[in-house]
Amino acid sequence: MPRRRRVIGSIILAAALAGAVCPFGATSVLAAQPMALAIMLPEEPTDYGWNQQAFEAARDVAAKYHWKFMPASGLGYGDVHAALRELADDGASLIIAHASGYNTAAPEIGAEKHVPVAIVDRPNESRPGAVADYTLSGREGAYLAGALAAKMTRSHTVAIVVAAESPPWNTQSAAFAQGARITDPAIKVLYAVIGPAAYADVAGGRRVTESVISAGADIVFGQGDRASFGIMQAVETKATGSAPVWFIDQLGDKSSLDKGHLLTSVVWNLVPVYTAMIEDLKRGTFGTHTYSIRLADDSVRLLHTTYIPARIWADIDALRTQIVSGALKVEPVWDAASVRAMMSSVAAPPK
Amino acid sequence: MGGLLTEPFLVSLLYGAVTAGMPLLLAGLGEQMSEKAGVLNIGLEGMMLVGAYTGFVAAYHSGSFWLGYLAGGLGGMLTALIVLLLCIRRGLNQIVIGIAITVGAEGLTSLLHYVQFSRSYPRLAAAPVLALPLLRDVPVLGRGLFSHNLLVYLAVALVFALSWMYRSTYLGLSLEAAGNQPAALDAAGVDVVHTRSLAVLCTGFLAGLGGAYLANVGAGIFVPFMTGGAGVIGIVLAMLARGRPLMVMVGAALFGASLAMTTALQVAGIDIPTDVVQMLPFAVVMAVLVVFGRHSMLPSALGTPYTRGER
Repeated sequence: MPRRRRVIGSIILAAALAGAVCPFGATSVLAAQPMALAIMLPEEPTDYGWNQQAFEAARDVAAKYHWKFMPASGLGYGDVHAALRELADDGASLIIAHASGYNTAAPEIGAEKHVPVAIVDRPNESRPGAVADYTLSGREGAYLAGALAAKMTRSHTVAIVVAAESPPWNTQSAAFAQGARITDPAIKVLYAVIGPAAYADVAGGRRVTESVISAGADIVFGQGDRASFGIMQAVETKATGSAPVWFIDQLGDKSSLDKGHLLTSVVWNLVPVYTAMIEDLKRGTFGTHTYSIRLADDSVRLLHTTYIPARIWADIDALRTQIVSGALKVEPVWDAASVRAMMSSVAAPPK
Repeated sequence: MGGLLTEPFLVSLLYGAVTAGMPLLLAGLGEQMSEKAGVLNIGLEGMMLVGAYTGFVAAYHSGSFWLGYLAGGLGGMLTALIVLLLCIRRGLNQIVIGIAITVGAEGLTSLLHYVQFSRSYPRLAAAPVLALPLLRDVPVLGRGLFSHNLLVYLAVALVFALSWMYRSTYLGLSLEAAGNQPAALDAAGVDVVHTRSLAVLCTGFLAGLGGAYLANVGAGIFVPFMTGGAGVIGIVLAMLARGRPLMVMVGAALFGASLAMTTALQVAGIDIPTDVVQMLPFAVVMAVLVVFGRHSMLPSALGTPYTRGER
């Protein structure tokens, strides 16, 4: 009997330890049927950017693993506790909270409902089995875009217009400036933020972009969700026949909307990231590391448009090869102050 | 900042300031009229959003900016009809209905955009510009301030027309009485409900017009939630303007100028945290209007439904 008691005690202890290491019991979550992948989006997945890329990737990954797909879009940037609870109650096996504004509520409800959650912009908040951060950076692609801009500009002035200074966009702004400077050390890189969290401020995007174009920029790297349509509009209406102005987009591919000014785009593909999350859940390693996108697996790529001369594209491709091989490293710059320090003013020479 | 003083850049900043201030001016003027008549129009944001949508749809399909403005104004007016029916006629809570209008307008316009434009994102051409003779030749100011869409000049004229109306006409007096002493107005033989209804419909038209300008001239495109709080700023401008249309214009101009200044400071590479720079428009407008409008008095019957014979 004492031996039997010890065995039972050991089993209880092991279960308790497993629970501590893996608080939501990822294994048991995966054992439950049917599996479901939920994704929460602040806007509708029709923005050719942040929301659409995530939606399509999650849908494809759910299909790949034969999981039920549970999208919740247009949730806005306010309180999402109720939406999180609803997804959990409806049987979500993993909730991807695809907005920085959700990274407080999602871990709370995940803990309450025992559902693993993935969040963005909180790399230090990961918890094994419970919370995984996937703060992504397409900086390698932005670096190539910067190099391309430096080769294509006629005014030797390019600009970065952003809707907000989120960490992923900060890394891309910095990499764009680095890529431009490495190609043309004398180039001016102007920088302007549309407003605090101005993701839907199309009028602001247009106004700010018109100002940087008036300050001499003939290539604008725009980082915004719907605000990027305002940036696009400014480029289209401000450009004249003799002085072309180009727009460089990011996240998605707006080629189908182009009126002759979309030079390229730093396109993200989130399928590898969401695939890795599910694999981590299966292995019990969810929340033990962060995720990244890179040129090497084409989770980041530069859109090849017909406006880019073949000779210049070949140069960009050579640069890509260097980055993929590791010969050239693009280090991330996450904070806004460091990004601003890298930019030029219309008065000062480039730093 | 010496390099900033290039003519194209300064022109662009001034032009952008006027363009950013215009929707606030129109919405603020509308709200002011409602408040004078005793109706707190919290749904201003929703009216702007509906105006932005209807204005854009009309301009896109007709190719006419003027039809767009008209449709925007009518869209705002139609939305204001809810306030008229539920708050003025039925006496329901103006704040609750106002919030419902904004939330409903956000949902409705998002849905309509999703159905119609979410795959194509159509964009308008640049709005036609009228350069004022003589003034257009003034360096920088000419192209920055006096080369705008005709609606801008009409809006400025409206400021003076409303000032005159409030000060010198029977209608202006009636509006003021509807907000301060509705029973006295009623005793004088003027229908309070009709007076307030007229004010609210005008508010809706002006807010919708502001939204249409925002979508058609400011952005050239409609996207969901694009007003981004402009209606709320319009309410603040109206409240702090002490009932004077000119002060609404000053507030809207300050806000637009401060927005342009935020861009200038960033492009100049001034080493100030962006958050601080972005606070500038709100801080400047609040500071100036609070200082100059600290003795402002809101109408005593503001937000209170009127029922004849009720004390």
